Amino acid sequence: MNTKFSGVWGTFEYLDDTTEAIEELRQKGAKPTVLSPCPRHEIDHALGEPQSPVPFISLFFGAMGCLIGYSLPAWTASDWVLPVGGKPIVAIAPFTIIGFEMTILHAAIFTLLGLTILIIIDSLKNPIPRAAREYLRFQRDRFGIVVRCEASQYTLYEDLLKKYQAEEVYVEKG
Amino acid sequence: MASTTVEEIVADSSLNRPFREEIDEHRGHPGIRATTFNYAQINDDMVEMLEKPHPSYFLLVLGFLSCLLLGAVSLAIQVDVGIGNSGISHPIAWGFYITDFVFWIGIGHAGTLISAVFYLTRAPWRTAIYRSAEAMTVFAVLTAGLFPLLHTGRPWLAYWLIPYPNERYLWVNFKSPLAWDVFAVTTYMSVSIMFFLLGLVPDMAIMRDEAKRRGKILQAKIYAVFAMSWRGTNHQWVHFMRGYLIFAALATPLVFSVHSIVSWDFAMASIPGWHTTIFAPYFVAGAIFSGLAMVMTVLIPVRVVFRLEDYISYHVVNKVCQVILFTSVIVGYAYATEFFIAWYSGSPYERAVFYFRPFGHMATWSLTGDQPVSFPLLAFYLMVFCNVIAPIPLWRKKVRNNLVAVWIICGLINVGMWFERFNIVGSSLQRDFHPYNWGEYWPTLVEVGITIGSFGFFFTLFSLFVKALPPMAIMELKEAAEPPMRKGHHEH
Repeated sequence: MNTKFSGVWGTFEYLDDTTEAIEELRQKGAKPTVLSPCPRHEIDHALGEPQSPVPFISLFFGAMGCLIGYSLPAWTASDWVLPVGGKPIVAIAPFTIIGFEMTILHAAIFTLLGLTILIIIDSLKNPIPRAAREYLRFQRDRFGIVVRCEASQYTLYEDLLKKYQAEEVYVEKG
Repeated sequence: MASTTVEEIVADSSLNRPFREEIDEHRGHPGIRATTFNYAQINDDMVEMLEKPHPSYFLLVLGFLSCLLLGAVSLAIQVDVGIGNSGISHPIAWGFYITDFVFWIGIGHAGTLISAVFYLTRAPWRTAIYRSAEAMTVFAVLTAGLFPLLHTGRPWLAYWLIPYPNERYLWVNFKSPLAWDVFAVTTYMSVSIMFFLLGLVPDMAIMRDEAKRRGKILQAKIYAVFAMSWRGTNHQWVHFMRGYLIFAALATPLVFSVHSIVSWDFAMASIPGWHTTIFAPYFVAGAIFSGLAMVMTVLIPVRVVFRLEDYISYHVVNKVCQVILFTSVIVGYAYATEFFIAWYSGSPYERAVFYFRPFGHMATWSLTGDQPVSFPLLAFYLMVFCNVIAPIPLWRKKVRNNLVAVWIICGLINVGMWFERFNIVGSSLQRDFHPYNWGEYWPTLVEVGITIGSFGFFFTLFSLFVKALPPMAIMELKEAAEPPMRKGHHEH
């Protein structure tokens, strides 16, 4: 994967330079990957407000947990009946506590698993070159833009990144 | 241009130049001076905290480890001899252990309150303290979890609490509050740990790269394991932030449900003094109250030792104190309501228990000197003094801005909240419906040892945490800070 990367990447000191470069890259049809030391809503705006399907995973598995949380006590109570003072065997009120806890637990576990899998999938779909991965200042104080492109577009994107005051621009020729 | 290598990047002298002048101090979030720092400075400050500790740190850890050792020895004796070695006997079936359990679960509430509830309500002052509070939650819930297992008498059979198909064709009784407790505490512990670890991932990546920058390869490799290949790409951030928000939303009802369910361990019983509907909100308010007091008890020394005045500012301390004050009023109101309802109910048993708590015959014993001051009696007056009277000075801003005063008040609250739990557990069981069923409770040395050990366990884990992992959320500090902009200042 790393050896096949073909494209241009650059580092930026300022957030506004980065967002302007992203917007122009998107206008030219590129799908840049942006690296930043922390999440910034300005970058999300520039990227067109990308959405994550994580909430749907949480909702689905939360609902599954809720179903399990009610049905497990109901089934076990029916499997071994403990009649107490004429009270209902399948008692919804006390089982609601188990239903609630199982909803939260399932939603949390599968949210974590889901977002991990989604991150892995997206990282595989949008690879970044080894040098960019090992550039130590992206976790410190620099922003980065990685553009995957054909050899014919190297100059176009290299000039574009430089136009927006990229500190360093590198071309990865695959 | 050709691609570059890591060595070339590290060798680049531009790495060491300050990339931006400090921003106007009045910008950023109000009251947190660190929001005017640049990103690199935040990294440097956090890395500095994890440098080789002062010898006094080792002495402190040694002290906590000694307490832990005492607890471990006591625990070994308790498990070996059995529950009869404690002071727990008929009619006092719950003594120190359940008191400790409720106390530590309560301490664990502040972390999730700060990290989840205040995240959803967008309280910017939480940023500097939530990581430590979250770690406290994890350690406190781990500590709390030991006590019900120990209290079963045969902890090696604790797996019987979990519903699983077995040869006896028996299932746990899901209508029992004790089974609810197993689910509530297990869920809370699991979600707290996952939430804590999730928030750590981007910071571990920061620590990995900072360790590489400083040539500490072994450290970098260890951090890299926990960083899980985090690079800070937009694809990673979008899923991470959405997942983090959902975790906060899932953890928020847990803050209120867990201690409610713990309170139902008591309220579902028909014992006088326990069987009351006020218990759930009363316990939740008490948990937040004690948890935040513990956060301040721990973080004020951390602030002084690590010189974190720019991060844990007076503004942050003030805000926490205001929440402590608010919950103190609720707790005080609940104490008064309990007495009022006991009187208003007309139930002689309820009235008797609430008479015994402050004025029982135990008071006479202690005054005449025939007996030492009994635990429930001591518990009642300590509870009222520490939880209702001691926080009153916090109404004054001058006191909230005095760290020594805040630390002392929060310490008293911790003491008071432990005794509140003991007061609830002990006094009601001592004075049941029938005088024939009355009894006394005195803890044995083993119970005292295990209680001290639980504090040793908690503080040892927290001491190791502050030197092994970034005790502040670097990613969120940066998010709250003024971003570097070429064309003027950023508007929040």
